[in-house]
Amino acid sequence: MSLRVLVGCKRVIDYAVKIRVRPDKMGVVTDGVKHSMNPFDEIAIEEAVRLKEKKIAKEVIAVSCGPTQAQETIRTALAMGADRGIHVEIPAKEMEKLEPLHVSKILAKLAEKEGAELLIVGKQAIDDDSNATAQMTAALLEWPQATFASKIEKTDGTLLVVREVDGGLETIKVKLPAVVSADLRLNEPRYATLPNIMKAKKKKIVKMKPADLGVDTTAHFEVVEVCDPPSREAGIKVEDVDALVSKLKEAGRI
Amino acid sequence: MMNLYKMRCNVLSLSKKRKHIRKSVISFPPMSSAHTTTTQDVKSNMVLREQIIDETDLSSDHLTPELQLYLITQSCRLWTSHPQHSPFLDPFWAFYWPGGQAVSRYVLDNSHIVKGKSILDFGSGCGASGLAAKLSEAEQVTFNDIDEVAIEAVLLNGVKNNITVDAVSTANLIGSSCQHHDVVLVGDMLYDTEFADEVLVWLKGIHESGSLVLVGDPGRFALESHPLRASLKCLGKYELPQSTVLENNGHSQAFVWTFR
Repeated sequence: MSLRVLVGCKRVIDYAVKIRVRPDKMGVVTDGVKHSMNPFDEIAIEEAVRLKEKKIAKEVIAVSCGPTQAQETIRTALAMGADRGIHVEIPAKEMEKLEPLHVSKILAKLAEKEGAELLIVGKQAIDDDSNATAQMTAALLEWPQATFASKIEKTDGTLLVVREVDGGLETIKVKLPAVVSADLRLNEPRYATLPNIMKAKKKKIVKMKPADLGVDTTAHFEVVEVCDPPSREAGIKVEDVDALVSKLKEAGRI
Repeated sequence: MMNLYKMRCNVLSLSKKRKHIRKSVISFPPMSSAHTTTTQDVKSNMVLREQIIDETDLSSDHLTPELQLYLITQSCRLWTSHPQHSPFLDPFWAFYWPGGQAVSRYVLDNSHIVKGKSILDFGSGCGASGLAAKLSEAEQVTFNDIDEVAIEAVLLNGVKNNITVDAVSTANLIGSSCQHHDVVLVGDMLYDTEFADEVLVWLKGIHESGSLVLVGDPGRFALESHPLRASLKCLGKYELPQSTVLENNGHSQAFVWTFR
């Protein structure tokens, strides 16, 4: 059996950018800030492409929910080796109100519509750190889930997945179709090279809206405030142990 | 006969300006007439050839090591460049795509198919498939690519391999009659869904008019999802060399198809 693999990839603020809170404290500054594909989603795409190269997968479809620029993220996935893309358009203004549950509903609908037998997503996005999309999508589809994957092997009709859990590695067997979330050590994503970027420009990206899939993106959360973590105060240097002890006594620590 | 053919195919004169080269990198003199060769044009032609040689490697690391081809390989600076930094606009000719490799290998291994025949290498790129046909003793090969730089690469590759390039053309042949060609070679042209549709419908017509159509493809979505895919039968299947896999993320095999 050759799988059709659906992979979710999110456009996020680049990991190297210093995040700044907006003056209205209702979000972070995104205008004019470098964005790129969520690193865990890059790992997810890479794994799907490797499955294709091993002939375990027959087709890799990259999906991104986001504003117009999400197409750049999809193009990156196509250059990495995905066969085609689906862009679920979310206006930039609504993007920060898009929740993991909405994305899960979109991915679940697409998995059914495309006849996918495997859904791979990053374990979390580095912007909201929710770590929820894989789990909720599996629940919506009633598919088994293998989260925090650090190794995937296919046996007949099942996947053997090594998971990164507290205190070590857990190996589980899941029946297909299944949802997998990619952890950091699953693989090392490849760089897109000129020939791959050239071909990716010609690959097909279908555009749709959440409503086309019957998904309502009304917010369930209300953002009360976004603020910087408290800044740490500078420490002091003490001359010797006696001075340290007296300072600690002063501060009431001992 | 040959002259008539050349006229039909809008055979490239060496004097044409190189519109596919970005002006910021090299500027070519405006042409006075498409069919007169000026000293300046010959010069710019030389510059272009030198640039192709500079930016590529001579490679036989592919399915047809019988041919040495000027290609952008991993050791070239452009390999890791973004297309916008390339002096050539979309240099498809600089890569030996899996479908092209498969068709060329098939032609070399089954020389009776092309021996003594008239061949069209449609979307020739670097010209490998047509050159393979010549090695298999094809009577006449026309190399066709709408990119004039590709045609220059074909000429260079012909010289390098001591193979005479009979005719070149930069015309868009889609929709035209190809009855005068016994065999039409199509290497990896079905990468864009809309374009693949146009090409496949045209190729089916060519097949129905009696020519043999050989299509090489690594399993790209545009072909796999096309209704005419069911009308094709597989003639050959090849495992791609590692270097080609790197150029074609997601593909590790290539196939040769013909119409049933």
